[in-house]
Amino acid sequence: MYKEAMNKAEEQQFEKDWKLSAVFVVTGLFIGALLTVQFQSSIPSATFLSDELRAQKELIDGYVDHQGLLKSKIVGLRTEISAAQEKAEASIQTANLETLKGLKEEIGLTSLRGPGVEIVIDDGIFVNRDNPDTVSQSLVHASDLRDVVNILRTARATGIAINGQRVVATSSISSVGNTILVNNFHLLPPFTVSALGDPEIIMQRLNDPMALPDLTKRTQDLNIQFSAQSQEGILIPEFSGNLNSRYISEVDVPNQ
Amino acid sequence: MAKLQKFKKREVSMLLTAVLLGFLIALQARSFEDVSDVINRNNRSDVFREIQILKDTNDQLRDEIDDLEDQLVKVSNNQDALESVREEIDQYEALTGRIDISGPGVHVQLAGDIQAIWLTDTVNELLSAGAEAVSVNSIRLTNKTTGFDTIPSGQIMLNSVILNEPYTIEAIGEREVLEEALIQPEGIIERLQRIVSDVEVIVEQRDSVTMEKVL
Repeated sequence: MYKEAMNKAEEQQFEKDWKLSAVFVVTGLFIGALLTVQFQSSIPSATFLSDELRAQKELIDGYVDHQGLLKSKIVGLRTEISAAQEKAEASIQTANLETLKGLKEEIGLTSLRGPGVEIVIDDGIFVNRDNPDTVSQSLVHASDLRDVVNILRTARATGIAINGQRVVATSSISSVGNTILVNNFHLLPPFTVSALGDPEIIMQRLNDPMALPDLTKRTQDLNIQFSAQSQEGILIPEFSGNLNSRYISEVDVPNQ
Repeated sequence: MAKLQKFKKREVSMLLTAVLLGFLIALQARSFEDVSDVINRNNRSDVFREIQILKDTNDQLRDEIDDLEDQLVKVSNNQDALESVREEIDQYEALTGRIDISGPGVHVQLAGDIQAIWLTDTVNELLSAGAEAVSVNSIRLTNKTTGFDTIPSGQIMLNSVILNEPYTIEAIGEREVLEEALIQPEGIIERLQRIVSDVEVIVEQRDSVTMEKVL
């Protein structure tokens, strides 16, 4: 009887010890993980960290706002130049004006409207893009947009824009951390990729499981939102960036 | 009393081991995140680079505005209008690939088992660094060029042409800037070499890169 009572007491003690140990282990794991994150965080060292981060954000916002103004000024000036050219048609000659119009269209300096496909891609629901330390597969990355644009080009899209930013042959789609830049302009999610072209061919390419393997997998596993729809009247705005050609020169063709 | 001390020692050592284990697990998880980041082919966060890009872009836009204002003055003057339009036509013909062009730039050669995404990314890196014209295996990239396609055999196709190795990418622009953009630490070339084994890369500045017109 005494032995049985002892066994029971020992069992109870063992169970108590075990529970306590489990609490210690879980607490230890938590503290360890917390310490690691703390030591590994790449937040710049500063006396007034929040002030420094706020100043950086304000500086970036200032540049982005200014960029918007410069872009609208460029679009306005190009429109004024076209109007002045039309006005001076007599001295410019109609043939030159027609050639110029065709080239402007080809280069992306005129807006386009027609049938095509609109694709919307957005971050997963549980990630915070604003935190510069967030490195997550649940975010839409610049490489995702590059891949989508590449697929649209293989489907012979005649005009492409991302969030109203025209993508032309010399456009870059890059990222600095979680910030996505198209033509070096800041874009925020959700990303709407508009493509002009044959909707059937474009949808066929997009639905090919081999076309965007990484994005397809992350859409399924990580809640990245992806949808594509055919549309009748898609508007592709004109290119509003700069058309650099400071280093390009025409190759002189020798007279024959 | 002795039992209590023994118990405490055991718990303390368990706690310390668990802390160490937690530290290692978190470290491992973060290094996996680093790998995913590389696989995602995107640059790391750098607020100063972001500010520099914005500043440079705004400077370029201001230059463009100056050029456009000059052009507007010329077009508004009947005597200069024709010359101004001809200059504009010449510029756009060069940009659309209607004439042969040349200029300083870089020559990149990639050999190995490379997927199409690396060609897309390398071209993008050059454009981001200000390349004014780019060609891949002598095919000029214009608004009419199709994207990089991978055919069932694994070969890469561009503009209905199968690209043969080594892949040659040429770009016209400020050659030092273009080269630096490619070979910078954690840049596209470093990431490519880390991920694709046995890839051979040559990046050279060139005084003159020539690109033929698009047929």
